[in-house]
Amino acid sequence: MKWLHQRSWSFWRLSVQTASFALLVSIPLLNFYLKFHFIQGWYQSISFGDLWFVSPLEGLERILVTRDIYGPLLVGMLIPVTLALLCGRVFCGWICPIHYLSDLSDRLKGIFTRSSKSRDRWLLPRQILWFALIGELLLSLIVGAPIFVFMSPPGLVGREMMRLVFFHTLALEALIVLGVLGMNLITRRFYCRYLCPLGALLALLGRKRRLRVVLNPHTCVHCGKCDASCPLGLEPQQGESEHSHCWNCGTCIDICPEQSLSYMWHTPLSNHYPIAGSLKDTRGSK
Amino acid sequence: MNFSAGRRTFLRNTLIGMLLAPATAAARRRYAYPVDRNVLRPPGAVTEEHFAGTCIRCGRCVEVCPYLCIEPLDIRNGVNAGTPIIRVETIPCYLCMKCVDVCPTGALQRVSQKETRMGMAVIDRHTCLSWDKKILCRTCYSVCPFMDKAIHLEDFKPVVDEEHCTGCGICTHACPVTREQGGKAINIEAVYAREFTLPEPASAAGGGV
Repeated sequence: MKWLHQRSWSFWRLSVQTASFALLVSIPLLNFYLKFHFIQGWYQSISFGDLWFVSPLEGLERILVTRDIYGPLLVGMLIPVTLALLCGRVFCGWICPIHYLSDLSDRLKGIFTRSSKSRDRWLLPRQILWFALIGELLLSLIVGAPIFVFMSPPGLVGREMMRLVFFHTLALEALIVLGVLGMNLITRRFYCRYLCPLGALLALLGRKRRLRVVLNPHTCVHCGKCDASCPLGLEPQQGESEHSHCWNCGTCIDICPEQSLSYMWHTPLSNHYPIAGSLKDTRGSK
Repeated sequence: MNFSAGRRTFLRNTLIGMLLAPATAAARRRYAYPVDRNVLRPPGAVTEEHFAGTCIRCGRCVEVCPYLCIEPLDIRNGVNAGTPIIRVETIPCYLCMKCVDVCPTGALQRVSQKETRMGMAVIDRHTCLSWDKKILCRTCYSVCPFMDKAIHLEDFKPVVDEEHCTGCGICTHACPVTREQGGKAINIEAVYAREFTLPEPASAAGGGV
């Protein structure tokens, strides 16, 4: 048990991500070869027996486009939406196969090049993420078809897996996944930062989330390691880990030498560090 | 009279129109319903007008189909990429009704086997062996899951009853005749793709006559 307690959040995150990806790979295999239909689908809609999940953005688009509310759809969206309300973008940080593949390629690159330099070559205003969501919803309404659902990279990973197992081919859409992964060469998680409508919706839902990475200003030594490590380019040292864009991945918690950052269950009345109100002062004195 | 300006506008608009013509044609193809003769939606599908918007492309109907007859379309079908389709000439639908139970968005409505209307079988009497060659072929009649209802024999020739045909395509799959212009001697026409109405019950229809 001691071994378990000493593991870092990155270890747990990688385990959850690997398990999620293994699920994605194993579902078509189980369905195709063993005719085991207890688990089905991928991250657009996944089912464990009679427990169904529907991705919030897909469900929202479907309701907006058809202007028709379908009960089972809302029930399927209930758990993901609740998760997003409580924990924010944890789907992005802990489950999404795109982040997993990006993470893996980062680690591979780290092994081969031994450079840990920041590669954020092109930085844009963070608010672009909201415009991605609005634009995508408007485009869906104009076109009359849910745009994101047939081009969503996390969904496409699952669909290509299924196609590979069931029909032994890949479709052209796989290029979209490759393109999204290629954007990592410009800026880490370029797509997740600025373009992903699903991430934007989850961030919007998680604006008042409970689970947050909170900075202890008393012990912070302003070394800036967390700022450099954040895959989304947030600056936890400035308290930006509580920004709605944060996906609670825990990278900054692991890298912090003083253990100043930690997960906190944040309630509207809680004040984790009594003089947290003076965060502005520390920012000014930096 | 500013004739030259008018001509210039006319030429410019013609040029723009010529440039845009392929684009609009392409756009129309992106929007085109993928449903066609012998290319059908799974059972209980909403009309094509709503299908692309209702389906969230989760592919669970594809995964649950035990006969592998449902396949997802790809990006070449534009807005219909990822939606399920059944090509009955390759593998027909055997009406196991598993796909309608797993659809999370109501793109496939729950229907019973009898109420399924994927399309309608239409016999081509110019190529059908029984009608054209006077050969005693009853393949479609024998394989039909609603034998003597959906397809019955009149003078040893198969006749489709519109009231009972579900459009499952088992007859098309089994038909031994392949026409030169494609298709079989009995084909499933996607007559319900635009408008889905269940036919009147047999008793009410009979009472009216």
